[in-house]
Amino acid sequence: MKQTSTSSPISRRTMLRSSGALVATSAVLAACSSAKPSVARIGESPTTVKLEDLAVTDVVLLRTAMSMETMAAAMLTDSAVTGLASKDAAPVIAAFAADHISHLEDLRVLIAARNGSAYSETNTKLMQAYGQPALDLVANGKVEADVLALMHAVETLIAATYQYFVSLTVEPALRADLVRLGGRSSRRSAVSAQLINGGTGGFAPANDKDGVPLVATLPGAFGSLSAVQVALGPVNDTGTRATVLMDTPSLNSLIY
Amino acid sequence: MDTHQVESPDMSMTTRRRLIASLLAGGAVVAAAPLFAGHASAADNAAPPHRDAADNAALNACLDRESRMVATYRKAIAGLTENDLIAMTLILDHHIAYAHALKGYLAVEAITPSSAPLASPTGSLAGIARQLATLEDQTATIHTNTIGTIKGLDAATLLASIVTVEARHAAALELIAGASPIAAHATAY
Repeated sequence: MKQTSTSSPISRRTMLRSSGALVATSAVLAACSSAKPSVARIGESPTTVKLEDLAVTDVVLLRTAMSMETMAAAMLTDSAVTGLASKDAAPVIAAFAADHISHLEDLRVLIAARNGSAYSETNTKLMQAYGQPALDLVANGKVEADVLALMHAVETLIAATYQYFVSLTVEPALRADLVRLGGRSSRRSAVSAQLINGGTGGFAPANDKDGVPLVATLPGAFGSLSAVQVALGPVNDTGTRATVLMDTPSLNSLIY
Repeated sequence: MDTHQVESPDMSMTTRRRLIASLLAGGAVVAAAPLFAGHASAADNAAPPHRDAADNAALNACLDRESRMVATYRKAIAGLTENDLIAMTLILDHHIAYAHALKGYLAVEAITPSSAPLASPTGSLAGIARQLATLEDQTATIHTNTIGTIKGLDAATLLASIVTVEARHAAALELIAGASPIAAHATAY
């Protein structure tokens, strides 16, 4: 028996159309859902606590800058440094430390203008990571040259920190303020380099007769953001000294 | 039992179009969903733009300044020798690099910069260094002020990396000019 129909409640096209719409809707819903691992496990498993979602705002950067300036001042006024400084170097170190303290007031004003809270402590994580170890090495080594080497490293680090923060800052006017503060540390870094390796002969990167790199006043055309390296402390059994790496603050060392 | 479904040509075309349109619309929604999700979170942070065409005029002014610094240093090194020549040539090379970097950033939007020197430093090394230190300070100030006005983050980052070193140029030159370490680190801006 042949049956001819001109309309069917569920045609092939209607079914395809409905299926397409269903697949699309499912995909949209799946994209909106959160991915949760569904790995089978035996026994008890501790529940994880999601970390607070912290944003890197302009105020966070300013607070972190305060922590870095405080750390720089603390390092330059530490007895391990002042006790070893030569008669010529001592007033320069004191002037640089005073500059860092004066920058705190500049930063406090910038933070207050953005309804933020000032931060008056050192950067705890970075002080533990390389600040205190560097001071300990200077104290143990008792090498006068370490004082200028540490000062040069600290000033280079602070300059690099401000330069890096420009790339994270939202407000253009604040970027300029940060560059001004960084420029001051750059100048101090150049002066420190000249105190170590003076004259026009100290401008360009060079090595000594043993192939050891000398401190250069102008190590590159553009400001570097790589870790600042400084050899400090006593000479060990192999004839070398400990190298301290100083990095600019990152997400885990910002002051939120 | 055989069943035949008969459709008129008009009805068939309309149905096929609807089917294809439905699938296309569904696919577009699926593709766009993650995109919308990403934009929603980005909008919350109000991320600054990486580039902004409105910055080009200010950046061309910086390019012009660097080009003129290059011309100035070319004049300044004319009578220098040995370490002094090497040191000043190093700074000259830095300014050439800055001009190239700005020109590269601006690409087709770059102007033809002036090649007129800003000064004609002559005399002793100390005298030349003093004049050049002043020009370095002025150049760093120009760039810093530009950073405060431009919106593009990439250009601001580039200028910041230039100012950081130009501040070093200024302090080092002031020491060569005879300033004390404490006086040389004091900034003009």
